Amino acid sequence: MQDKLTTLHAAIDKVSDGDIVALQNMATQAAPMALVRELIRQQKRDLGLVVLVGGMAVDWLAASRCIDRLIGAAVTMEQFGLCQQYRRAVEAGRIRVEEISESVLNARLGAGARNLPYLPTRGAIGTDLIRYDPENLKLLDDPFGGPPVLACRALKPDVALIHAHRADRCGNIQYEPTAMWPDIAIMPKAARQVIVSVEEIVDTEVLRRRPERTILPGFMVDAVVEVPYGAHPTSFYPAYRYDDEMHREWAAAARDDDACAAWLERCVLDPADQRQYLAAAGGAPMLDRIGTSAETA
Amino acid sequence: MSGWQNSPAATDYSIDELMVSTLAACFKNGDQACNGMASFIPVAAFMLARMTHAPELVWIASSVGLEPRPERIPASTLEAPLWQDSIMYLDQYTDFWNFVLNGRWITKFCVGAAQLDRYGNANNSVIGSDYHKPRVRLPGTAGLADMCSIGKDLYYWMPNHSPRSLVEKVDFVSGAGFLDGGDSRERLGLGGGPRILVTNLAVMDFEPVSKRMRIKSVHPGVSVDEVQGATGFELLLAEEPVPETRPPSREQVRLIRQQIDPDGMRRHGFR
Repeated sequence: MQDKLTTLHAAIDKVSDGDIVALQNMATQAAPMALVRELIRQQKRDLGLVVLVGGMAVDWLAASRCIDRLIGAAVTMEQFGLCQQYRRAVEAGRIRVEEISESVLNARLGAGARNLPYLPTRGAIGTDLIRYDPENLKLLDDPFGGPPVLACRALKPDVALIHAHRADRCGNIQYEPTAMWPDIAIMPKAARQVIVSVEEIVDTEVLRRRPERTILPGFMVDAVVEVPYGAHPTSFYPAYRYDDEMHREWAAAARDDDACAAWLERCVLDPADQRQYLAAAGGAPMLDRIGTSAETA
Repeated sequence: MSGWQNSPAATDYSIDELMVSTLAACFKNGDQACNGMASFIPVAAFMLARMTHAPELVWIASSVGLEPRPERIPASTLEAPLWQDSIMYLDQYTDFWNFVLNGRWITKFCVGAAQLDRYGNANNSVIGSDYHKPRVRLPGTAGLADMCSIGKDLYYWMPNHSPRSLVEKVDFVSGAGFLDGGDSRERLGLGGGPRILVTNLAVMDFEPVSKRMRIKSVHPGVSVDEVQGATGFELLLAEEPVPETRPPSREQVRLIRQQIDPDGMRRHGFR
């Protein structure tokens, strides 16, 4: 099989200005943060984001003026509050939101993955989501005589950004048992390109020992990069917890544009690689704090 | 677990504990319950129900972990510590949404909303009249738009009953309640719908024909006038005189404080 192993820089070089980028993410979970930092360092512009539930990654991208639209079901850092930079950009009209519900997003991505024009759902009927998104959502009569269904137009992101536990050089991706969100199950299958960062690159023989953990085959993956702690400061079970200190720090900085710019300079733009980033983020004491040794035993 | 049946009404309790016990009473043996983000009150209610009257209530923590055994409610209701020790992890795309959309299972859902109106329509999307330049961008509908349209019985909770949160008409319908009232929900082919709303002041339900919100009971020490004054539209009365909400029992309060939520996460969002 082809060798897909590359560097962060070369992987993100595949993303073009204006692309629709599907981002793995829950409020404080499992986001490909190293890939997101590289998007910012390469100063990508006019990106559209697709998220099920976006968190700090969306706020970084909004603050760095990388995105101008977002298709998603929610953006929040849950206990750490709203994403302030994103929120202000939307309120100022700089980011256009196409809000959709979870079952609508699943249907749109499912249709994209299977090359169908649309898939139906019964979710979201009666809401204003339909009124504000007539290009992509239409009520249809059930051809078999039942109540109406909502047709959800196929969505094919230009690129999906994923973080996973391990892979081989050929891009066969393994994921450890934990929450499995649609960002992993369906989003990459609908995307035209798939870029994956992993905690570790291993020999293919290691994957063969547990084939049930392999979730994406190498033939559909365009680039794979080894980035330990690549989801930090979001949680990545069973490997590490979310970094609550960094979440609090960012939530405070994001309320003020100058503080926010200084924070991004220090933690996103200045560090030249993942080692420097982790040092800027608190180094060994921070890694001890987010460790899950008790839970992973 | 013993003793909850005969436990007398508590006198020392807080309003979040009353809201937990009120929601807990809505969930029975044979039901399946799931929770989303920042849902401390519903999570505490499910845990309380399972420790008292409904040991066979199935709980899917964060819509991920089947029958988990968290030691206590952690700082997030959407992170792994809540689904600790589960029997199964549900894959969202292939498991969870099939169970939810199927109609047979998970027939009740607890909803937290920034804004609700007299017909139980919910808004978690935008405040203001311009959707593309809103006054406040809220988190978004997440799974709410789905849960409200697929035949579920909806149980709303709201920690701060005020004219800003209970409004004549929501700025944006992110979750369908009874829409314009009457039979407008039925005419769209939607089953289920809002059942009750529990706030820090009262319990509301919906008049069966007009579908207008009405006061079902006021919490001890709260008057009907206070509830009406804190509401942005006229509430009907389910019965007169308006009864008092049943307070939690001493044993329920003990379980909430000592076992379920010793860190007080349930007070998140209360002013």
